[in-house]
Amino acid sequence: MSGLLTALNAGKTSLMTNQKSIEIVGNNIANVNTEGYSRQRAELMQIPAVNFGDFFVGQGVTVSDVSREYDVFINRQLQEKSITLGEESGKSTPLSELERIFNVSDDNLAGSINDFFDAWQQLTTNPSGQVERDMVLQRGRLMGDAFADTYNELETVRNNINNNIVSKIGNLNEQISEIAKLNDRIFQIEINGQSANAARDQRDLIVEDLSKSLGIQSYTDNRGMLAVQLPGGTPLVQGNQAMPLSVVTNGTDVNLQITIGGNVKDITTQELGGEMKGMFDVRDDFIAGLRGDLDTLAVEITKAVNDVHSNGWYTDPATGNPATGQLFFDDLTALPPGTPPSRHVRVALADGRYVAAAGGNTAAPGDNENALAIASLETTYRVSGTNDTFDSFFSQIVSSVGIEASRNKMALGGAKDASVQLHNLRDGFAGVSLEEEMVDLVQYQRGFESSAKFLSTVDEMMNSLLQLKR
Amino acid sequence: MKATQGTTYRMLGSRLNDLNLQLEELRKIGASGKKLNRPSDNPAAIRPVLNTRKQLSNVDRYMETMGQALDKMQAADGHLEHVENIMQRVKEISVNVVNGSLNNEDRSVLADEIVNLRQELLDAANARVDGKYIFAGYEESTKPFAENPAYDPALYDPNDHTTWPYLYHGDENATRLEITPGENLQVALTGNDLFFGTTTWNQNPPPNNSVEPGRYDVFAVLTRAEEAIRSNDQTALQTSIQDIDGAADQTRRLRSQMGNRASRVETAMHHQEQVRIDLKQILSRYEDADAIEAFNNIVQQETAFQAALNVTSKVSKLSILDYM
Repeated sequence: MSGLLTALNAGKTSLMTNQKSIEIVGNNIANVNTEGYSRQRAELMQIPAVNFGDFFVGQGVTVSDVSREYDVFINRQLQEKSITLGEESGKSTPLSELERIFNVSDDNLAGSINDFFDAWQQLTTNPSGQVERDMVLQRGRLMGDAFADTYNELETVRNNINNNIVSKIGNLNEQISEIAKLNDRIFQIEINGQSANAARDQRDLIVEDLSKSLGIQSYTDNRGMLAVQLPGGTPLVQGNQAMPLSVVTNGTDVNLQITIGGNVKDITTQELGGEMKGMFDVRDDFIAGLRGDLDTLAVEITKAVNDVHSNGWYTDPATGNPATGQLFFDDLTALPPGTPPSRHVRVALADGRYVAAAGGNTAAPGDNENALAIASLETTYRVSGTNDTFDSFFSQIVSSVGIEASRNKMALGGAKDASVQLHNLRDGFAGVSLEEEMVDLVQYQRGFESSAKFLSTVDEMMNSLLQLKR
Repeated sequence: MKATQGTTYRMLGSRLNDLNLQLEELRKIGASGKKLNRPSDNPAAIRPVLNTRKQLSNVDRYMETMGQALDKMQAADGHLEHVENIMQRVKEISVNVVNGSLNNEDRSVLADEIVNLRQELLDAANARVDGKYIFAGYEESTKPFAENPAYDPALYDPNDHTTWPYLYHGDENATRLEITPGENLQVALTGNDLFFGTTTWNQNPPPNNSVEPGRYDVFAVLTRAEEAIRSNDQTALQTSIQDIDGAADQTRRLRSQMGNRASRVETAMHHQEQVRIDLKQILSRYEDADAIEAFNNIVQQETAFQAALNVTSKVSKLSILDYM
């Protein structure tokens, strides 16, 4: 009878184990679409056998552990790729904005510059014509507006980047402190010998997210806690301690700071990675470069025109005498620091009568020599330090935007593909396959059924025993 | 390694997304007819495109400038033809006087006719186009020629313009226009060159202006002829006839010079038309999409997209659940 009771017990463990396994399969199926979920598996183990006289007889089965399928290598790869993906996607939105500003249509800045010199060319055919003179002034003003528009649009992009950085900080801090909390929880659970599968999955997911947005690096310490730091080595999470990020406004730009143990430290662009680095790079390198080029163009164009114009002659409307030395544009060569030249391209003349079209000191009405000289600047003037005319200097700016945008498009596409493939690789290893789960389900169901059959057989046997005496 | 629901749908999703994005890009090219819509479409093409656009707008401007230059030259040519006719008539009169035995009254009538012709010459020299004096150099708003009230036939000296019968108030600068990049063409004649036989004109004497050797002050030639007829001075008249011939030649020579420049402008206009076509071709090569290729690509891409959609719908039909 004691043998039967043991068998009954073994049957019971089998029922419970299969039930537990089915429970785990059910959990896997339930999480088939959960992002970052690693498939869990029941680790079955037979209960240590007991010595029966000459034999060792098994005592049934038990679930020793619920483990998750996990590959450090793939997860590291995923983290690395997320950094590239984040950096490129952080650049992509501002770059497409820049592409809109520096477009290739007819109505860009190059068009205004063409129109301006075209007006001078037109003035050469009728240097005394008031309409032609007004036209030169008008086109000059429009070119100034085009410069200012381009500058302002660049500022808008910069402000959008700043706003974007500020809006992301809240979420980043939440994720950083979440990692610290999860570290603590995993430590508490695993100190008892269990595996904190769900918490680890969750932590991996957040780390992947943070890699994308901040380019973080991470390593696990001997207590299973994840230490997280910026690429420059500044710690973000240490054990169960999170260091919060904050934004600080420097002039018109925002920068990041971190509070470590009560001390506030500035974070430089070199210390960042991922999306943040992408945004800071575009803002501090690329847009600043574009603005510098735009300013150079504004200074060069106004200086070149002024130099020739101030040598020309016009009839001073006040005195009626020939006059010279008049600047066409406001002088931009000696602006106070902090004043962007491209925003101050302004025509200095009050009206068309001050246009110095004449080259001779009599300012004769038919004299078009100076107008010819200014009109020819379009093709002959070389922007200092380059071999470029005004419009080819501008096309250089547009090209640099185009090159960067197309590089970004390619890199982003590549990073996205790589990320999809790595996710597939990860899922191929640790994801939930419905077919697999269904087969497991059948397997455990059969196991459960046969255990039940076994129990009813033992029951019948016990019944037979009990019926021996009536 | 296993295929899971997640991997399958992620793969299909990203593939569908890619195809759809490419399809949108192709449709944009097809709809706009342009393959260069953003700088990143072809960064290398931006410089040539912007440069070609500038050149195209310059060609338009040159064409307009040349059109105006031609107008000016044609207007001047009309007046020069008139001057030639005047010279012709003056010569006829002078020859008539030398050959015929005319009495004083007849000579006086002919001399008066020369005075009239001189007046006509003055009108031609003060001709205006569009409200501007065309033979005044840069001083286009100043009437260039006027009678010299201090003129005294006895004091006439070709080397001192203050003794000449007519005065010039214009200047020596002929209008030049840029007709092709870097080429400035003279499109007008100055009054001093045309009527006073000197290419330079000093407005603020001293030094005084003088007629260049071998050239003629047309007004003085006419005035001297008139004086010779009135005084019946045969030797002076003979010299006058030679001078009239010389002056007529001078006018014809300058007129034909201008005619040459006009034909140079016409050739240049023709050339610029060709340049415009070439530039448009260059621009088109960089900017415009090949329509057939674009639509071919769209059809091809649509087929690929359809296939991907087909596969996606098949995937959802195939499930292990149907077999259990």
